[in-house]
Amino acid sequence: MTNPIIENIRHSLGRTVQSPLGLRPDIYEPRLPESIDSEIARFLDEVKKLSGVGQKLSPADIDSTLKTLVAEQNIRKATVWGTPHLRQLGITKILNSLGVEIVSPNASKHEMALCDLGITEADYLLPETGTLVLKSSFEKPRAVSLLPRIHLAVVRPEMLRADMHQVFAEAKDSNYLVFITGPSRTADIELTVTLGVHGPKNLYVWMMKE
Amino acid sequence: MSQDTHPYIGFEEYSEHVPPSIPLAVQQATSRFVGGRAARVAELPQWEQLRQIGSDIRQHTIENMDVYLTSLEEKVKEAGGYVHWAETAEDARRIVLQIAKENNIKNVVKSKSMATEEIELNHALEAAGIESLETDLGEYIIQLAGTGPSHIIVPAVHLKKEEIAALFSEKLDINAPTDPIELARIAREVLREKFLNAGMGISGGNFLIAETGTLVMVTNEGNGRMCTTMPDLHIAVVGIDKVIPDWESLIVFLKLLARSATGQKLSTYTQFITGPRHAEGEFGPKEFHLVLLDNGRSKILKDPIGRDVLKCIRCGACANVCPVYKNVGGFAYGSFISGPIGAILSPQMLGTQAARELPFASTLCGACADVCPVKIPIPAILSHLRRRVAQGDAFALPTISTPIRATANLASLALAQNWIYRLGALVLPIINPFFRKNNWLSGMPYPLNRWTKVRPLPPFGARFRKWWNVRSAKETESTHD
Repeated sequence: MTNPIIENIRHSLGRTVQSPLGLRPDIYEPRLPESIDSEIARFLDEVKKLSGVGQKLSPADIDSTLKTLVAEQNIRKATVWGTPHLRQLGITKILNSLGVEIVSPNASKHEMALCDLGITEADYLLPETGTLVLKSSFEKPRAVSLLPRIHLAVVRPEMLRADMHQVFAEAKDSNYLVFITGPSRTADIELTVTLGVHGPKNLYVWMMKE
Repeated sequence: MSQDTHPYIGFEEYSEHVPPSIPLAVQQATSRFVGGRAARVAELPQWEQLRQIGSDIRQHTIENMDVYLTSLEEKVKEAGGYVHWAETAEDARRIVLQIAKENNIKNVVKSKSMATEEIELNHALEAAGIESLETDLGEYIIQLAGTGPSHIIVPAVHLKKEEIAALFSEKLDINAPTDPIELARIAREVLREKFLNAGMGISGGNFLIAETGTLVMVTNEGNGRMCTTMPDLHIAVVGIDKVIPDWESLIVFLKLLARSATGQKLSTYTQFITGPRHAEGEFGPKEFHLVLLDNGRSKILKDPIGRDVLKCIRCGACANVCPVYKNVGGFAYGSFISGPIGAILSPQMLGTQAARELPFASTLCGACADVCPVKIPIPAILSHLRRRVAQGDAFALPTISTPIRATANLASLALAQNWIYRLGALVLPIINPFFRKNNWLSGMPYPLNRWTKVRPLPPFGARFRKWWNVRSAKETESTHD
């Protein structure tokens, strides 16, 4: 079946069905990463610049840090990605012991919307912009980083990539990807920056490192 | 709107009655964006190189658009999505309504999209009894106010917080405070319910990646994620000009877009959507529809000068630096896209009958071309379209009034023929005494009064050659001293 829009485009450009594709212009060179420590420092620094809270954390301190977060932010309900690493850290157990109700990450959207805290990992991290890159699957539902009023990402140094070239080379065949660069924001009313419009108001990033 | 039916855009008429609050609000916003952009650009030593690559890739994509769109369609279908082609705005509205009807949809949530503004989708949905709610905070505000956007990036920039509070109080039947943070919180609560209960989400798209059939959406508030994650149905209405070859080229545009638009390195949320969800529990829509909108774009491609407008990535940087836009605001441009880019898009999309004033709504200062992330030569296209309006070309007949055209033709003849010009310079001073007031000529007869009622003319009498000879002689003298 011929498509009239494609036909019109060809007619306008003076091309035919057989016209070959021209050569795409070259893209410039990818970025080279620095030492792992300076990449981590840069990443956390960018998260802070975006009004997020970024910190390095030893697995031994996760109990106490979660306890502080739950108390400070008055967290009663939480939902957590069902990934092996988060299970290994015992996140849901700790939250349970703190009296936080755990909602399944595959629960209905109405239930998820009642959560105070959503905990995810990330698939990749971009140090230049302080960006979390998240894929999506049954274990890693999209709503966990979106519906709760606070988003906590528990990440590791091996998730760091030098730049978007590397991330896309690995991830472009995913059915869904999202870059999260800071908490939800707007400046639509008299240019006053307001955090937490439709997405989370607070973004915490914990870089797990011995 | 089609080429023949769009109402006349009276830029001049409007700009004579701009409410004084508009330039003030617009200039506050634009100066913030200009400052932010400059800071981000200064951080990137390779900025100019990036712009050049961005421009080259857009050029290349335009010249091979048939190939990339064909690949895009194939890949979206492979990923389990549906592709619909809409030749006109009417077609696009019909397609969206059809999908809504088949799925018995009553409530739609919309994220900000210039393409759906272009096809005036909200009116069509409402006429069919479907609630269609804008969810970007700025768009939500202007939807409550019942107006269109006045800026590509901050659509409600022309409204003060007191006006917005009054609007919320009236429409939502509450007592809204004037604090912007409180107002945003109120909108969050109202819209949260709508997101969770809507049957369908409608979005636009910033880019379409031909390589994998991926829709790329850039937002800050998270409403774009809500619209494409919560409802079971997602329809994206996107202009065919948004296609790009591959993920490698996308990197260039992501680096250019947020820096040029808001002075961010990246916007808060960038989504890459390839078809529908794979598992129910992961959230995201069960069905993904892509409506590819032509609405005159394929015709614009025919003009090798004018078609550069299709390189645009909708950052709004050209408006932020435009001295005309900053004084009249977005509504003066009478269409969904305002500022310099609107002034070269509308005359091509809506025709030089309805939009014939827009190519003249510029000082041709060139600030827009200096900041354009994909190097669209906006002033050159404005001149090109001025010629189309005045003289007509292969695309349109002339549309300015006969006396103006006659005057312009005379002037162009006189300036091109040396002897006529010199004759005029000799003869015209004769009329000076009849119209001279102090050192100016005013109150000239028709059609010259079109000029003199706005501003007086200097008296005829310039003798450039004479002046030049005298000056050269003087200079020669002084260098010999």
